[in-house]
Amino acid sequence: MHLHDFVPASLRRFQRLWPAPSTRGGHCFSQSETHNSKPATGPRAAKLSPVSTDNHGRPPLQPDARAARVNTRNGSPTMIVPNEHRAEELYLPDFCNVRMVLAMVVGAELLAYLLSLSATRGGESRWDGLIMTSLFVQWVALASIAVLCACRRLMEGWRDMTTTLYSFGLVLAVTVVVSEAAYWGGAYLDMFPVRQGWHGEFLIRNLTISAIVTTVALRYFYVQFQLKKNIQAEAHARIQALQARVRPHFLFNSMNTIASLTRSDPALAEEVVEDLADLFRVNLADARTRVPLGEELALTRRYLHIEQLRLGERLTVEEDTAGVPQDAAIPMLTIQPLVENAVYHGIEPLPEGGAIRLQARQDRDGNIVITVANPRPAAEVIRRPGNRLALDNVRQRLGAHFGNRAKLTLDDAQGRYVATVTLPYEKAVS
Amino acid sequence: MKLLIADDEGPARARLHGLVEEIGGIEVVAEAGNGRQALLLCDELHPDIILLDIRMPGMDGLEAARHMAGLEPAPAVIFTTAYSEHALAAFDAHAIDYLLKPVRKARLAQALVKAQRLTSAQMNAVTEAAQGGQRQRTHISARRGGRIELVEVTDVAYFQAGDKYVSVHHGGGELLIDEPLKSLEEEFSQRFLRVHRGILAARDLIIGLEKDPQGHYYVMLKDQQRLPVSRRHVSELRALVRAGRIRT
Repeated sequence: MHLHDFVPASLRRFQRLWPAPSTRGGHCFSQSETHNSKPATGPRAAKLSPVSTDNHGRPPLQPDARAARVNTRNGSPTMIVPNEHRAEELYLPDFCNVRMVLAMVVGAELLAYLLSLSATRGGESRWDGLIMTSLFVQWVALASIAVLCACRRLMEGWRDMTTTLYSFGLVLAVTVVVSEAAYWGGAYLDMFPVRQGWHGEFLIRNLTISAIVTTVALRYFYVQFQLKKNIQAEAHARIQALQARVRPHFLFNSMNTIASLTRSDPALAEEVVEDLADLFRVNLADARTRVPLGEELALTRRYLHIEQLRLGERLTVEEDTAGVPQDAAIPMLTIQPLVENAVYHGIEPLPEGGAIRLQARQDRDGNIVITVANPRPAAEVIRRPGNRLALDNVRQRLGAHFGNRAKLTLDDAQGRYVATVTLPYEKAVS
Repeated sequence: MKLLIADDEGPARARLHGLVEEIGGIEVVAEAGNGRQALLLCDELHPDIILLDIRMPGMDGLEAARHMAGLEPAPAVIFTTAYSEHALAAFDAHAIDYLLKPVRKARLAQALVKAQRLTSAQMNAVTEAAQGGQRQRTHISARRGGRIELVEVTDVAYFQAGDKYVSVHHGGGELLIDEPLKSLEEEFSQRFLRVHRGILAARDLIIGLEKDPQGHYYVMLKDQQRLPVSRRHVSELRALVRAGRIRT
């Protein structure tokens, strides 16, 4: 949203925050010195150091009404992450980490070099300039890192925008303190002549450089953090998608059934292994495949075979699918997940079990209509954690193959739960 | 040593039975297909150890173990499960042993040796951790004449605190339990409402609020019973009246 919206709030916050950083910074800077001929560089360097700190100047998102509370969180920066995605995690790297400190020192040195290169004017030794600039930049960088390291715990849980503004303020404060120390220290040691009106210029230059570098650095940290988070989220989503296809409970229970049958009835155990293999083959295959209805029904029967061995008399299956064209095309894994849901939510929670009714017919318009019905346990029976993913997957598959000509409807009435799939009759190419 | 096997799947029970026999030295006294059955068999047969599946219909393993903790003598419990449910983290946290199915024989033998009794407090804590703060039982259990009696929570009309015990008034009569009303109120806050200092009434059964000529309030239950209402709980009931949930 708009920067101006919340600037006042942030300013207010900063007013409260300033003192702390500057005091801390003060200790650090006391010895820094700048070199007279190139005061400008020093300050610049200072900015650099902030590298460590802030993030970037992404427009902050939401003005925070509760600005007065130091602990409020801001909306995350707009760039990559949508609003609702509130970052809980601190996006700044851990500045207390030795590797991070080393990286910062190297970065600060590069900046110092850049600054002294660009600032060199005729006559003056390039090396003198670099040394003084480095000294200054390193001071600002290290002091900023120290302050940010110390404040890290405080920033846990803040919104990204709060963290950003806070870090930004801290680095600028450090810059001011180091600049002042360098200026007065330099004057005291007589390293450069104190000119009239030059003090202000020195400070402003340093602050400007610091602000720019800090902004770029914070921005970099933020983007890098988001990238990392996105990669993690993607990996997580993949695992979830896989789990949605293969319910771990079913897998392990089937394994257990096989282990048991291996002792009592090896031939049956063999059958279960074959059924399970078929199920997994299909589950791991390309989900975009269309298969003849007969094949999908056969797969469903294999699944039910395993479940019947496991649940025994508790599971009864009534199937009425003979009257439907077996060559009708249907997205793979449309019926089996619905039947699996029926077993999971409708049969397993009932001590006495129940019946699943699987029907397929052709309606007057020639559409194929498949229904899966199961008893619906009373609300008293603890509901199992749902698996809407299975239903969503079925919907997606139907949509991908038939657009809005196919649909999945759910009906929950009279103690029965009925899932109905309707799709146009198209012959499968086999 | 006597052992009971509780699992809702026949093949799973058969396998455990076979493994225990191979290990030897332990007699399998019975097999149960759900938590309720397991609890009743425990009460009847006094096994030393129970192999208890976590996911079972009706009453699950966690709840069955909570009731079993109140038995005298209480059996040692070893949980079994096919897939790591939330419960496992809670078990680890409380050093409660469990077996993953398919169970390995060596692992089972090891668990049988060090099987331990679980206390009610332990089970309450574990259940709460495993179910995200929820620990509603489906049954209330009490001992009467040396035997355990079970009442489904859905069957309870109201709890009434007495001098020493809380009496559970249900469709089939009355049961005395040794649990504070306060903890019952916390556990079943969705289902029961405190209407009086000493009474928790089933929300679903309350149909009306009445006031007698002396100014005392009463709630009417569906079965025409009248329960006294304390002054401080009148406002909450009035709110229900306003919401149209009950009549006056």
